Amino acid sequence: MSSARTTSRTVTKTLPKQRLWTGTRAIAEAVKLADVDVIAAYPIRPYTGVMNSLAKMLADGEFMAEIIVADSEHSQFEIAKHASAVGARTFVGSSGVGLAYAAEPIIVTALGQLPVVAIAGCRALDDPGNFGMEWNDVFMFRDHGWLMSWAKDPQEALDMTLVAYRVSEDHSVLLPHFVAVDGAAITHVSTLVEPPEGDKVDKFLPPYKPMFPLDPSFGPVTKAQHIAPSLIGPELRKVVDNSISKSRDVIRHAWTTYSKVSGRNYPDFIECVDMDDAEIALVTMGAYSKDVIHVARKLRKQGVKSGVVRLRYFRPFPSEELTNALKNIKAVGVIDFSYGYGSPDSASVLFNDLRSTLYASGSRPAMMDFMFVGGREPSVEHFEQAFKLLQKNANKGLSEKQIIWPTLKGETS
Amino acid sequence: MTEARVIKNIKDVPAEDLYTSGHRTCAGCGAALGYRMLLKAAGPKTVVLGPTGCMYVANGHQFLSSPYAVPWYHTQLGAGGAAGVGTAAAFRVLMLKGKRKMEDDINVVVYGGDGGTSDMGFSGLSMAMSYDYKRFLYVMYDNESYANTGIQASSTTPWGASTTFTPFGKIKRIGNSRMKKNVALTIAAHPGVRYVATASLYPPLDFFNKARKALEANGPAFIHLLVPCPKGWFFDPKYTVELGKNAVETGLWVLWEYENGEFHLTHKPQPRKSVDGYLKMQKRFEHLTKDQVDEIQRRTDKEWEYWNEMDKQKKIILPWVAPA
Repeated sequence: MSSARTTSRTVTKTLPKQRLWTGTRAIAEAVKLADVDVIAAYPIRPYTGVMNSLAKMLADGEFMAEIIVADSEHSQFEIAKHASAVGARTFVGSSGVGLAYAAEPIIVTALGQLPVVAIAGCRALDDPGNFGMEWNDVFMFRDHGWLMSWAKDPQEALDMTLVAYRVSEDHSVLLPHFVAVDGAAITHVSTLVEPPEGDKVDKFLPPYKPMFPLDPSFGPVTKAQHIAPSLIGPELRKVVDNSISKSRDVIRHAWTTYSKVSGRNYPDFIECVDMDDAEIALVTMGAYSKDVIHVARKLRKQGVKSGVVRLRYFRPFPSEELTNALKNIKAVGVIDFSYGYGSPDSASVLFNDLRSTLYASGSRPAMMDFMFVGGREPSVEHFEQAFKLLQKNANKGLSEKQIIWPTLKGETS
Repeated sequence: MTEARVIKNIKDVPAEDLYTSGHRTCAGCGAALGYRMLLKAAGPKTVVLGPTGCMYVANGHQFLSSPYAVPWYHTQLGAGGAAGVGTAAAFRVLMLKGKRKMEDDINVVVYGGDGGTSDMGFSGLSMAMSYDYKRFLYVMYDNESYANTGIQASSTTPWGASTTFTPFGKIKRIGNSRMKKNVALTIAAHPGVRYVATASLYPPLDFFNKARKALEANGPAFIHLLVPCPKGWFFDPKYTVELGKNAVETGLWVLWEYENGEFHLTHKPQPRKSVDGYLKMQKRFEHLTKDQVDEIQRRTDKEWEYWNEMDKQKKIILPWVAPA
């Protein structure tokens, strides 16, 4: 310290330009950086802020795009779908029941092989008009050909949005992409965000070039005509299936390339924390994974061999990565914000996908499901309790109760 | 603004067909005739959006064929308005940003049925008509039912018509008990809309010229096109155009246009034929009693007092006929 003060030389270090942005604002900045052409908006909490930000940017001339204030989410997703078919880069989004209202266009967008990017601000489905956070709104479309990634904070939400365009528009993929952000916990919470430089993004994301644009200058393309299922029904399904399979390599490559754009290194499909020698692990996604990691590290200091796996992508599901990460684990728990009434064990969606993945693997750890449903917020105590129950399972074998609703009042777990 | 390229002689209709073979519509399909005429009027620099309906289901299916010699994309049943706006928005912004070559003569046309337009797609249509996209035309082909699903009533099915959802029965002695919705009048209530018209397959150039005017109206436009449907109205397919003519000549279908704040009747049947002959040609009305036919005539006559007054004043007045 003292020598630094006495030296005559000045050391100048340029700090990266950081901004204090909410998740929705950070995503809006990504949309601007991506030079999106057509945006379709309709309000529903908690995603709305992204459209508020974009509308103001456009009103201030920060970039050029058509923003359509639609009459419904159904129209919103149709607008994006058809603008994409012409060759525009498009952006759309919704939350909760808004996504349910838009179900029809959402499903056909993937079948139309259109690289629409949508933000989903995760929100519980009605009734009641629940402002709480659940994943079932996005999970409605888990089987329909949309790529799905889950951000942990505003920075990653911005980065994921840019990478989403890159992956979706790759001609070997051409599928739409949900960037899911947990309602309130990301959409409405401000953290420091460092946007990448515009010229680097331009190189990373050149303008979208459709293979078969719906444009008279290209020729008379007929798209999605009515057909007899016996003619090409299974083949149409297979096209989407092949595309989502191919997206795995494209995703890996895109994040490698993006690390050079942003200077940030992300793992591609899953993030592993302290998993090398872990005996018990919690698997989760989204904003609360940071709290889960905090608890795991605290327990490490007490001698518990705890680890955390965070999925960054839910579709395509990172089966191979999860199988490898969990191969030496004795007991694994899922911190999940979804439900699957009447599904196997009436467990959560993520739990059942993970259990299905591990069925094929050599290791079959004990599994527990911690379902944070109905929008009531979890606390770090819940995650501590989850690790403790896992530890008990790891030592004594599977407990009777595997499916737990930690925030449910009146139930002891 | 130059005058729209309207024509006066049927020989001036372009010989080239952009709605060609490769479809499997019913014999005598009025909607198919409308499609053919619409694309002749619009020309090759046109993108067509087809909401689910007869003109989706019947225009493909066999052998992966397509009847369209222009770009065409299906859109969901209630999504015609949104699809048109998304398409038009993409062209405009891609041109403004220099991502596509600048051309000011690209048409975006939606050809949607009455169910997908007047029922499910009404909200999206209204939204679409509130934007300012040029060369954007929504044509509602109205066969007065959900015809491809087996003739179920829509909100443009006329009073009295028997459909599979509004059948004539032993105790329900009238088919459809709702009045036909006047969709074009509701669209005229949108301040940004530049051209609204009703049309028919008769007179022969009526629809062609209205489509031309609509596309060249410098803003969003809407045409409500009545298309007789042999399958749903139950008549011999050879009478499709004849019925289109009769609908106009009886005054049951009123031909008008609304442009620059002015209303005009584009065809005044003089004298109007009695509705009886038109109704009798269609089995969907065969159960109507004389009293019921008289009631249709009474309403038609009363409504025409309004239509004539509108034509005189050049302003829209909502027709009102007290229930019997």
